[in-house]
Amino acid sequence: MAPKGGSKKKPSLADDTAHSPTLPEQLSYLHTPRPFKNPAYTKNLNRRTKNLKTVLAQERDRERLERDRRRHQRHHLPMDVDAETTKIDPDHDIPTYSSIEAPPSLLPQRHYCDITGLEAPYTDPATALRFHDKSVYELIKALSSSAAKDYLSARGVNPIVK
Amino acid sequence: MTDNHRTTYIPANLLPVVVPPDSYDDFRSKSTPLIIDNGSTNIRFGFSTASSPHSNLNVVAKYKERKYNKPLLLFGDAIDAESGAKGQARTPWEGDVLLNFDALENALDYVFIRLGIDTSSVEHPILMTERLSSSLHSRALTSELMFEQYSVPSVTYCVDSLMSFYQNNKPGSSERFTSDGLVVSFNTASTSVVPVVEGRGIMSHAKRIPWGTQQSTDYLLKLIQLKYPSFPTRVTSTQTNWMLRNLCEFATDYPALLRSMKNPLHLRESEYIVQFPFAIPIVEEKTEEELTRIAEKRKEQGKKLQEIAAKNRMEKLVQKENDLQYLNNLKEGRSDNKREWINTLQSEGFEDEGALDDIIKKLELDLKRARKKEADGDDSVEEPSFSLIEVPDVELDEEGLKEKKKQKLMKAGFEARARARREKEKEREEKEADEKRDEEERERDIGKWSGKLRQEQEAIMNRIKDRNRRKAALSDRKSAAAQARMKSIATLAADDRVPKKKRKTGAEDMFGADDEDWAIYRKINTAAASSDEEDDINQLQTIELKLLAHDPTFTTEHTHASIASQRSALISAFRPRYEEGDIEGNTRIHLNTERWRVCEAYFSPGMAGVDSAGVGEVIQNVLARFSNSDKARLVKNVFVTGSPSKLPGLIPKLHATLRPILPPEMPLEIIRAVDPEIDAWKGMAAFANTEEFERVGVTKAEYEEWGGETIRRWWGGNWNSSM
Repeated sequence: MAPKGGSKKKPSLADDTAHSPTLPEQLSYLHTPRPFKNPAYTKNLNRRTKNLKTVLAQERDRERLERDRRRHQRHHLPMDVDAETTKIDPDHDIPTYSSIEAPPSLLPQRHYCDITGLEAPYTDPATALRFHDKSVYELIKALSSSAAKDYLSARGVNPIVK
Repeated sequence: MTDNHRTTYIPANLLPVVVPPDSYDDFRSKSTPLIIDNGSTNIRFGFSTASSPHSNLNVVAKYKERKYNKPLLLFGDAIDAESGAKGQARTPWEGDVLLNFDALENALDYVFIRLGIDTSSVEHPILMTERLSSSLHSRALTSELMFEQYSVPSVTYCVDSLMSFYQNNKPGSSERFTSDGLVVSFNTASTSVVPVVEGRGIMSHAKRIPWGTQQSTDYLLKLIQLKYPSFPTRVTSTQTNWMLRNLCEFATDYPALLRSMKNPLHLRESEYIVQFPFAIPIVEEKTEEELTRIAEKRKEQGKKLQEIAAKNRMEKLVQKENDLQYLNNLKEGRSDNKREWINTLQSEGFEDEGALDDIIKKLELDLKRARKKEADGDDSVEEPSFSLIEVPDVELDEEGLKEKKKQKLMKAGFEARARARREKEKEREEKEADEKRDEEERERDIGKWSGKLRQEQEAIMNRIKDRNRRKAALSDRKSAAAQARMKSIATLAADDRVPKKKRKTGAEDMFGADDEDWAIYRKINTAAASSDEEDDINQLQTIELKLLAHDPTFTTEHTHASIASQRSALISAFRPRYEEGDIEGNTRIHLNTERWRVCEAYFSPGMAGVDSAGVGEVIQNVLARFSNSDKARLVKNVFVTGSPSKLPGLIPKLHATLRPILPPEMPLEIIRAVDPEIDAWKGMAAFANTEEFERVGVTKAEYEEWGGETIRRWWGGNWNSSM
């Protein structure tokens, strides 16, 4: 008497050898040999996928430490400057992932209609949506409040509901 | 723009093909550099001597197949072959940062397997890309992978945009690379601007904008979902990406374009229609015979029910007759002995003889009525006798009085019913007379008649509009109507309702004496749907029907319903409406303003909620840090690369953005890479064949000494604190 679980597995095992490999199986490279891999290499535990935020925070901290160290070093070294230093101030210009981020825009923002995308000279006081003309306004009046919030979030305005 | 009005179809997914690995024989025991362009979307790889790289999507999926319970490892476009694997797809990149090293390891495995490498370690020096100023964490772990797992002899990192620049500005075979230029690279999750002076990338002055294809696709998807909230099928990111690549473009002058699109006709002309796949529901049309058969069946069922009802009635009648018989027998067979009689009565459940008589009478009446109904089916009105009403009270005894009262009531009821019937008849006659008059008028002078009716219709429509306006005004707290309402509520609820003067003379609150006073409650109560509205609407409908029927100049467009639901031409051009049953129409997406809106976000990401400067402004900032002479050298050679740069209209737009901020005599030239997708790889391959390549890599020995974060500083690589 075969155990219950075994009877379920049996048909699939029998099929296994019989069926021709399906396309995904052919494409899978799980079982192809990888001779170039070093079997002695143990995975570094540090390698577990970290959150983007933690990685960036880590970078920032390290950069800060590094910068402090260099500044400290420069203050205490003699004043003659090496010939190698470039004309750019070494302290400010070491680029990090966060430092080369573009700054916020200084140009005045144009108002575009949230519904149609055309120019929007008007704003609806009830929902804070910008609209192009009165027919669009009729449409806005008929929107539900969740739809209005969706339009706002497309623009990046996320109203927090108390 | 030659394909206006053309409907495009979402392309179906093609199944991937199994490709055998390359033959390794050409490269065995030679240390040809291996070039890997590790992109956020695609990974391109190959040996440096190849003319073009292999390219595949940079995603890995580990999936356990349901059917045969086998685990699968799929890479790139092979994931499309297995629908369940798409949920497990992982990419090593998150935006611009390498985070998932398991995925990276699998990706590299695929690369090496595909290239057919079968030695015990990868014996080729590797040239690999990384993003602009990538984090040390990413680089450390990548180096670790490379050196420890694959035992690579040396690794060099470079920035892909610079390599593309190199490819397009290659020096002669033995000269050093000394071009100048401004490299604008459009990547998957960012757009970067890097100045290159004397062949060296000035990394410290480079800038990165967090807006790329990924964000553009998300924005377009969001816009589509907002525009079509009840779209029947789900729109996926891949489809949106396809739409972005093929249908969207840059507008050279966005505000001018918007102004021209205010015109609904123009809006319609500039739209693209995307037809999604849809399924036509199978409507089972019953043939004539089937319909008649069904009707017959229903009739038969009705008849059967009627028969059953008739039978029941018959049975009840028979039952009643039997009862009557029994009771009559009882009555006749009563013995003269009163006590016995009362006993028998009580045993039957009657209180006294009167009750027995009543029941007998009722039964007789019922029987008579039932028999009459069956006989002629018409309930004739019989005038019951009112004999006792005339007789004065004095002459009657107790029973008679009771009878008299009963008769009075019956008479009153009978007369009331007769009166109601008469009134109804009168109303009907009046209505008929009205209609006849109306028809005569119409036949006499149709112009005047229709004019009169139209005036009535307008008056009613105005009344409806006024009522709506009043309702809207009441909902606004600060309006005059709302404040008046609050005032009347306050006066009603006030304790002292009588004005001072009257109180002196001793008057009391006389609210309610006058019937008009109660009307104030109607005004206060805003929630009640006024019956006036319904009357108005009904009246309006009858008038409109008449007009429609007889007046040829009054069409359905003039009716109140169509005026109320009229949508402006602009909205219908922006989002055309289809009928309910039009399945094909309802699975269409019309893209008009979105086509330019999404690309405009590159130049002002604030439109989409990203608080960053756009491409134009960032270039301006970058250029500002250089002297004028350097600036001139940079803008003479503005180089645009990356697959999103293939979107039409980019170069004219860049030109229009940069020209105003530069001195007019400075020549401005913008060039796009010959092949924006592959040029980075080609540049790398070309570079790898020069002798400079050997000097800038990090060898295994150096890795073991300095660790994974240190790299050499060279013109094409990143530069950070570990050198």
